[in-house]
Amino acid sequence: MGEKPKVAICWLGACGGCDEAIVDLNEGLLDVAEAVSIEFWPVAMDYKYDHLAAFGKGEIAVGLVSGHVRNSEHAEVAHLLRDRCKLVIALGACACFGGTPALANLVSREEILDAVYVKAPSVVNPDGRLPQVETAWEEEILRLPAFFDHVYALNQVIEVDYYLPGCPPPSELIRNGVRAVLTDDLPPKGSTLAPRKALCETCPRNKTKPMRLEIHGPIRRIHEVEADPEMCFLAEGILCMGPATRSGCGETCIRSNTPCRGCFGPVPGVSDPGSRFISSLAALLKVGTTGDPEAVMASLGDPVGYLYRFTHPVSTLGARRLSQATEETP
Amino acid sequence: MGYKPKLVCFSCKFGWAYLRDMNALGEDVEFLTPVECSGRLDALHLLKAFKERADGVLILACEEGHCHFQEGNFRTLKMLYLLRDVLEAHGIEKARVRIEFSLDPEGRKILGRIARMKESLSALGPLNRALL
Ligand code: SF4
Ligand code: SF4
Repeated sequence: MGEKPKVAICWLGACGGCDEAIVDLNEGLLDVAEAVSIEFWPVAMDYKYDHLAAFGKGEIAVGLVSGHVRNSEHAEVAHLLRDRCKLVIALGACACFGGTPALANLVSREEILDAVYVKAPSVVNPDGRLPQVETAWEEEILRLPAFFDHVYALNQVIEVDYYLPGCPPPSELIRNGVRAVLTDDLPPKGSTLAPRKALCETCPRNKTKPMRLEIHGPIRRIHEVEADPEMCFLAEGILCMGPATRSGCGETCIRSNTPCRGCFGPVPGVSDPGSRFISSLAALLKVGTTGDPEAVMASLGDPVGYLYRFTHPVSTLGARRLSQATEETP
Repeated sequence: MGYKPKLVCFSCKFGWAYLRDMNALGEDVEFLTPVECSGRLDALHLLKAFKERADGVLILACEEGHCHFQEGNFRTLKMLYLLRDVLEAHGIEKARVRIEFSLDPEGRKILGRIARMKESLSALGPLNRALL
C-alpha cells in the first residue's frame, strides 16, 4: 500500500464550529484517520504555519478550509494552502459565502475599529489608539495582520475546488465529501458537495404548504409567535428561507421548530438569494385594498440581516474580489 | 459642477410610449429599458443597475387598475419597499429609486419624469460607493 493521502484542516476567520463538526464525526474520525494522514490542524493539534510551508507544491491531497478572509493573515494562509494542497474544499458557510460575520460589510472598517477600540462601554481609550500593523517596541518591530475593509468568501481570494456549505456543515456531509475525494468520485470542479434541490423539497413540513401560497397581513417573526410544530412556516406567515436555500442540512432548524435562515446558501442557478426572496415575497404577500404595503413590508424587521445572513460577500451588492491594491497589507 | 447622474429607467411597454418610437426620445434616455409589465422586474435587476454604477433607478409603471397582468405594478411597489431597506443598508438612499404610476401612450411625459428624477439625483450628489 502506498502512502496515505495527506490532509490539512485549517481555519481562517472562523468560530471553530466547522472544526467541531469534524470532531463530531466521533468514531468516524478514527476511520478518517485510518484512511488519511492529518498533517495540519491548528485547532486540534499544535501546528505552526511553518509546518504547512515545509510541504511541497500540491503535496497535500486535500485542504479543508473553514472561515472567511478578513485580514492579511487569513489571505496569506489561504494562498499557502492553495499552493500546498491539490484540492481545496471550502468548509462551511463562512468559507463558502462569507457567513454571518460578513454582515459587518454593512459598516466600514473605520466604524468597526472605532466601535471596538474606542466607543465600547468597557473600553477606556482617551487617545483613541487603534491597533497598528507595525509598532516599534524596544529594539523590535511588532507586527499584526492588517484588518481589511471587507469580509471575503474564500473563492474571492483563492481558487476553490469544492464547497461543503452549512453553519456548520453536518458531519455526515463532511464524511461523504472526504469519501468522494478519497475514492475520486467527484463531480466537476466548482461543485457544491450537497444535493441540488431546494430545502422545501426535503422539508417534512412541505405537505402543509399550500399549492398557492399566500401570506396575508404582517410577516411574523419566530420569536414573536408560538409556531405550530407541523405547519410550513411560510404558510403561517413566518419567514423561512427554505424555498431559496439548498438542501442537505438534514433540516436541523426546521426540526427544532425554527425556520430556515439559509446557511446552505442559494439553490443552483440563483446568484443572489436575498433578492430572489424579495421578489417572491412581494408576490406572496397579499396586502388587500385597505392595507398599507409599506407597513406590511416593514414587519419583516431587518430584511438585510435576514435575507443576506450568510451570503453578503457573494451577493450582487456585496461581491468583491480581494485585490491587494485595495486592501492595506503590511 | 459637471456631475451628471446616471439614471437607469425601466418603463412598462403596455402603459408608456407604446405609440412611439422609443429611440426618438433622444440621448437623455440613454439607459431606458422597456419591459413587458413592471411586475417583470426582479429585485436583482435593480441591484445590478446600482452595482454597475447607476446613481438612480426610475420605474414607469401603469396606473392602478391598469396592469395587464392584474397587479404587476403593485407587486413591484411591494418589492421596492423591501429592496429600499437593502439599498439603504448599503448606503444607497431610498430616494434613488422611484416608481411612477401613470398612463402615457404617446410617451409625452417620459422626458419630464426623467429630468425630474435626474434633478433629485443631482441634489443628492454622486452615490457613495464605499460599501459596494
Ligand atoms: S418554507 Fe420552510 S417550512 Fe415551508 S416547506 Fe419550505 S423549508 Fe419547510
Ligand atoms: S434549515 Fe436552513 S439555516 Fe437551518 S441548517 Fe438547514 S440550511 Fe441551515
